[in-house]
Amino acid sequence: MSFSNKIDEWMKEAEARPESAITIVKLISRRLRELTERNEELLAENIALQNGTRVEEFQKRITHLEYQLDLLKRRFSANDNELVDIPAKPVEETTISLLVYNSRGRIFRIELDADTKEPGRIAGEMVTDQEPPRLLTVPSREEILLLFTSGRVATVAVSDIPIVESGGAWKWDQATQPDEPRAAELLACITPFSQLPLSDFFLQISRRGCVKKTMTSMAQSILANHYIGKGALQKSDQPFDLTLHKKQTRLAFVTYEGHLIGLDVDDLSYATEERIRLSATDYVIASFTTHADESLLFVTQTGKVIYRESNSVELTKSSSAKGQSLIPPSRLEQGVRFMGAASVRDGDQVVVLDATGKLKVHEADSITGAGSIEADGLILSIGILPADSVTSSPLGKRAAV
Amino acid sequence: MSVKVGIDFGTSNSGVAVFDGTRVKLLPVDPKNILPEVIKSVLYITRDYRSSIGQEAVETYYRDNVNRQRRYVKQWAGEIDYRGADMHYVRDIYVYVDELKPGRLLQYLKTALRKEGYQGTQIFERYYTVGDLAKTYLSLLKQRAEDVLGEPIHAVTLGRPVKFSESAEQDRKAQETLRQAAHDAGFKEVDFELEPIAAALDYEQSITKPQNVVIFDFGGGTLDIAVMRLGDAKSRKVYANGGVDIAGSDFDRTIIEKRMLPHFGYGRVKHHPEIMDMIHAIPDWMALPELGTPINRNIIEKAIHSGTAPVRLKALEGLIYNDLAFTFYNRVEAGKISLSNEGATVISLEDKDIALWELYTRHQFESDIQRYLVDVEKVLLDTIAKSGLEPGAIDAVVKTGGSSNIPLFTEMLARIFGTEKVKESNAFSSVVAGLAIKAKM
Repeated sequence: MSFSNKIDEWMKEAEARPESAITIVKLISRRLRELTERNEELLAENIALQNGTRVEEFQKRITHLEYQLDLLKRRFSANDNELVDIPAKPVEETTISLLVYNSRGRIFRIELDADTKEPGRIAGEMVTDQEPPRLLTVPSREEILLLFTSGRVATVAVSDIPIVESGGAWKWDQATQPDEPRAAELLACITPFSQLPLSDFFLQISRRGCVKKTMTSMAQSILANHYIGKGALQKSDQPFDLTLHKKQTRLAFVTYEGHLIGLDVDDLSYATEERIRLSATDYVIASFTTHADESLLFVTQTGKVIYRESNSVELTKSSSAKGQSLIPPSRLEQGVRFMGAASVRDGDQVVVLDATGKLKVHEADSITGAGSIEADGLILSIGILPADSVTSSPLGKRAAV
Repeated sequence: MSVKVGIDFGTSNSGVAVFDGTRVKLLPVDPKNILPEVIKSVLYITRDYRSSIGQEAVETYYRDNVNRQRRYVKQWAGEIDYRGADMHYVRDIYVYVDELKPGRLLQYLKTALRKEGYQGTQIFERYYTVGDLAKTYLSLLKQRAEDVLGEPIHAVTLGRPVKFSESAEQDRKAQETLRQAAHDAGFKEVDFELEPIAAALDYEQSITKPQNVVIFDFGGGTLDIAVMRLGDAKSRKVYANGGVDIAGSDFDRTIIEKRMLPHFGYGRVKHHPEIMDMIHAIPDWMALPELGTPINRNIIEKAIHSGTAPVRLKALEGLIYNDLAFTFYNRVEAGKISLSNEGATVISLEDKDIALWELYTRHQFESDIQRYLVDVEKVLLDTIAKSGLEPGAIDAVVKTGGSSNIPLFTEMLARIFGTEKVKESNAFSSVVAGLAIKAKM
């Protein structure tokens, strides 16, 4: 049926029942608005294609994939004589970058060395949109994936983010914004993803404890469409973290009110599922992969540190689990809450950001020994600087706060 | 102590009720549903043969299936013997099976009972006969009702349409299959009542003096009509009854055929018979999920690459391969229902590769189903004639069933009997309430 015939039929309805005309006009206006918005998006995409922005983006991605291929060739040629002859460029030793980012998509990059104890200080408003800044340490040659609260993703090479001088004092205005959040959108998290070829799954964790598993074989489509989804069931919920996992690994996440839950990645559904029953005021503040040889570190807002063996995490299959409670009820009443948690190995360092904006690096061993972290103000975030991070990055995040 | 209940095992929705002698209690067997006393007649069976019904089935289906990943493996299905003259050889037959498929959602179970030639279906490694499917649904429904009542249920009065089928043999077979399924589900005593008569028993509770009543039970699967004398148990009489296989699911099918198929390439794809077959299978809720084979995908992809209606064929591919069939049928049904109150509605489906939007007016709907109006009016007038009563001798026309709310049919009843005689009843509960009353008799 032609479109003009359809219009004739709509007109007949309006003639038969004049009150239907208002409904028809409303429905068409709504559709027109949707189409206008979509048209604008398509025009923007067209401009990006015409002016070469999209081409550059793909060229960058190709360069990065070539780098990953080199890495893989090197890794496998060591064990496989047949691959020894494949020429591979030597991989240069890389430095470690500390990324400090906020929900508005602003990112500071500070290069760390083994001696850095006070990377710097951030001035001005620390908590934006009720979200404290978050910390991530990555190799400087890493590529990162930015996940926004709308479910949109974007990729950026760490090396494209300008370095700020270690030990300095900076304002958020000076931070780079590699991909500005769109209207009604915030930066949810940043994930290193050069280990993508060696991973099996993406795992998304939402603030209200929903988990969604996606096979990394979908990565091409996700990156091409710049969209992975929110991974949340409720409209008010939003994505909190995105991690890469291999099969047979375990995921743990920790909530503001002190609940810890462990999940076997293989048991998770490919659909979004609520995996912890949270109270109305509770939300996820950290998620990480747990390994048998690691310990777990939980930090309260006042700097108190709780330490647990990683084998103390109970795995749960139930979707209505409340998790293990790590803060006693009496302490909860006093207002004690978790601000950060991570899995750590011997020799790891912990980067701490406090409410005065000061960044400080601590030895993980010393803070677990002392049972607290010294800071100038309330703790806002922690990040882990792995002991082996100078030569390689860990698969998945070991700390996310 | 154990009780006897009334069960309306409907094509789209079901319900359970008990009658204590003075009032009927509808049991909230589906707490997740907006109306907990109404439960969708859908059954979901997972790969490990766990079953769920109603809203729980729908939610599990959505959670596990929509936009899920697929992995097809070649599986040996059997062999074919070739014999001819002095030659005999055996050929192996393979099928492609989606080994990641988490479960099967089955709906319109009641229609399957009366569908000639439909014996059952393969669900993973097991074959379910139509009776097995009905038994699985009824046993879960019984369990839910027992949980609500807190006591065992030993007997049931089941509703049945006036005609399961035009064929007397098929009609008898359908009732026997349902009876056996109910026994297998754990009901020791099973009896039946015609659905329009059950609705009449419910209506009888509200009248004070004897009346000649037409029950117009127009549900998801069939139209059932009964002409009765009601109001006094002693003089209660069925003058005539009749029915026809026209109902809500036919209207959904018509909407799909007339309005939705062009969104999936109908009218644009001309020289691809395999694709035309796929498009024509869209209105068939049983056929569509079976289309998702790697061969079909390859055919669609090739046509898209050659530039044949690429947007519409991509939508067809999305509909089949993203398991959106159930969502699609639900959207069409919801659009149809909203036209009972509104002059226009939008039937839309937005997903990866699909951007279906169709403004649909009551005028369009009424012209689409006009041919059914003629058949329905004929059956109604035939049944009235069979009763020996004139339309003027009818005191009330009681409408029940979801499709009875369609204005076109309400207007037809008003035209024949007069507006003041057309009575509303609860579209989803009057049959089950009457069955509960019958169970107590």
